[in-house]
Amino acid sequence: MNQKELIEYIKNNFKGIENIKSIDEKQFSITVQKERIINILSFLKLSNFKELALITAVDWIKEEKIEVVYILFSYEYEQQLIVKTYIDRQEPSIESIKNLWEIATMYERDVHEFFGIDFIGNDDKRPLILHNWKDIPPLRKDFDSLKYSNTIFGKFKKDKE
Amino acid sequence: MELYSTKKLKDEGFEQILNFFRKKSLWMLHYCTGCGAVELPPTMTSRWDMERFGMGPMATPRQADLLLITGYLSLKSLKRVIYTYEQMQNPKWVIALGSCPINGGIYYDSYSVINRLALYIPVDLSIEGCMPRPEAIIEGFIKLMKQIENGEAVGYKKYQENYKWYKQNQDSVLKREFPVLSGEEK
Amino acid sequence: MSEILTYLGKDEEYEVYELFFGPNHPGMSGNFSYILTVDGHTIKKVSPDPGLLHRGFEKLVERRLWLQNIALIPRICVPEPDINEMVYSTAIEKLCHIDVPLRASYIRTIVLEMARLSAFLFGFGGIGGTTGLYTASYWSISDRDYLLDLFEWLTGARVYHMYILPGGVRRDLPNGWTEKLKETIDYLQKRLNEYDRLIYNNPLVIKRLKGLGKIEKELAIEYGITGPNLKATGVKYDIRKMVPYAAYDKIDFDIPSQNEGDGLARAIQRREEFQLSLDIIRKALKDIPDGPVRANMPNPLKFKVPKGEVYVKIESARGEHAYYIVSDGGDKPYRMAVRGGSYTAGLILAQKVLVGCRIEDVALWMATMDICPPDFDR
Repeated sequence: MNQKELIEYIKNNFKGIENIKSIDEKQFSITVQKERIINILSFLKLSNFKELALITAVDWIKEEKIEVVYILFSYEYEQQLIVKTYIDRQEPSIESIKNLWEIATMYERDVHEFFGIDFIGNDDKRPLILHNWKDIPPLRKDFDSLKYSNTIFGKFKKDKE
Repeated sequence: MELYSTKKLKDEGFEQILNFFRKKSLWMLHYCTGCGAVELPPTMTSRWDMERFGMGPMATPRQADLLLITGYLSLKSLKRVIYTYEQMQNPKWVIALGSCPINGGIYYDSYSVINRLALYIPVDLSIEGCMPRPEAIIEGFIKLMKQIENGEAVGYKKYQENYKWYKQNQDSVLKREFPVLSGEEK
Repeated sequence: MSEILTYLGKDEEYEVYELFFGPNHPGMSGNFSYILTVDGHTIKKVSPDPGLLHRGFEKLVERRLWLQNIALIPRICVPEPDINEMVYSTAIEKLCHIDVPLRASYIRTIVLEMARLSAFLFGFGGIGGTTGLYTASYWSISDRDYLLDLFEWLTGARVYHMYILPGGVRRDLPNGWTEKLKETIDYLQKRLNEYDRLIYNNPLVIKRLKGLGKIEKELAIEYGITGPNLKATGVKYDIRKMVPYAAYDKIDFDIPSQNEGDGLARAIQRREEFQLSLDIIRKALKDIPDGPVRANMPNPLKFKVPKGEVYVKIESARGEHAYYIVSDGGDKPYRMAVRGGSYTAGLILAQKVLVGCRIEDVALWMATMDICPPDFDR
């Protein structure tokens, strides 16, 4: 199947897709509602999108939304598929997909640490990369990295003579 | 010879002689803390061959003399570096490679990378550059050897004397109980 | 050594200890740590402890202009920095619809393959170092220096080149550079026989690597393992061939693959890909056309990228190296997510595969998987 047929196939077999868009000849993106994310991902996994390449998030601060992005790949069709969904920014939470892909556990732990998104069903919320983090999650747009650095590490502190 | 006159020996004990021998056998701790470590293998192996200066890599901190901070240090690494530094036996020296341990370098605004290493452990010598070439690293080593011979590289003594000051700085970044921005603590 | 043994008490059958493997461990590649739960010499549980190299790239790029970031991103992957520039430039070109001159594409191909070669040479040294064959690392690191000298001639820097820019490359090949590169390629070809004799036909290495950390095809796909590690399990998939970038679609080459999926297959796969890279450089040097090396680009300070998002991946020496870049039409990237080539291998697969191995296998397994901590710590 080429991309056009694949898009048709997904449109015909899965109800509730908000938006489907081709990015270039080897990748396209799908937007779905938050509640349907597990359904679409399990449907896609059965339709030969076997590799989960990345889970990440984008903080749209003006729209008060966080976009959660799942990037899949199919070795059969050689197509990259970006599945997106929007969640609320104040209390971000979404179903975990760790039952579909085991490796999602680590990606979700990562995204939880950097965006503060609560993945329902994934209890592994131990800090992974940051040391003793007390502030708002660092990849949120309202986190000021320079101010943080100057406050904690001291821009003009003197050495001991 | 003026350098090894009996008066000096009486004044400073055998420190001078010891320093002369110390500089000739520096064991460098095998710990790649950052990206500058990618230039260490060429320095160690056949092309630049560090061993002709009597230097070699050492696996354990307890038998190493030299701690190389190769580039940026994230907070998580800083904790390990301090452990490692405190495990090393006196006399010990620290060389900071690259621009990042001096002022943060290209990561000056990063939330995870410290800006100035000398606040947390004493640094005897900094080699600038991103990243320093093997020639620069070797020149740095030779400079350190000279400093050791002249008794100028005394970072470890400084650390003992000012332990409280260093400890306070270390704790201020590693053991925070409040958020840094908009926290209760000032 | 930095290992600290913590007695975890007596299990029903075994006495269980916790072992901190790394970060300060001679077998560890880079600044990274596994916390192993061991019974005697056998590993019962693995929990990775990354973040020691975390610099917050994903935040830092949001604070810099599109073209300023070129200076920052090569630092994401240290042994093979050029792939970062390539991914980033390709992403900008895709979003802005910039056409790259053909000569620039060929030069990019050559530079990327040279970076691959130097990463593989590091890998040879890693396998040598962890099996106790220090000769291998002494040879390969100094052979790598021939490539670094060429890089220095071309770009002015040994490690971080910042040579591939959006729209092309920074400058044309200097006079006499291609001849020197040909000489170096011939030299490396000759050396490859020596490496065969030293590493790949060495009974000691074969015995250590055979059956080490065996991965099945399905598991590899499920776990997102890519690159040479995937090809060693029998999946003949290479991004250079399937989703061509640079000038790979104009160069004819075959992808090597193995079937066993164990440590030996991975090591041999890397050796085969070394040969492949040499061939690709030879072919690219033969076909390289004349012409400009940079497309016309707007003023870097006023450079804006149209709204959109794109996921760009390329084949690095350790697998799929990719960025997911989102632009909101401004002068800075809105979001850039990094997918390092060894993320899934080092953090997730290790928890499964290393169970049941012995402690001394951990470092060797890492060397055969070519795990590079900076690209998953970001």
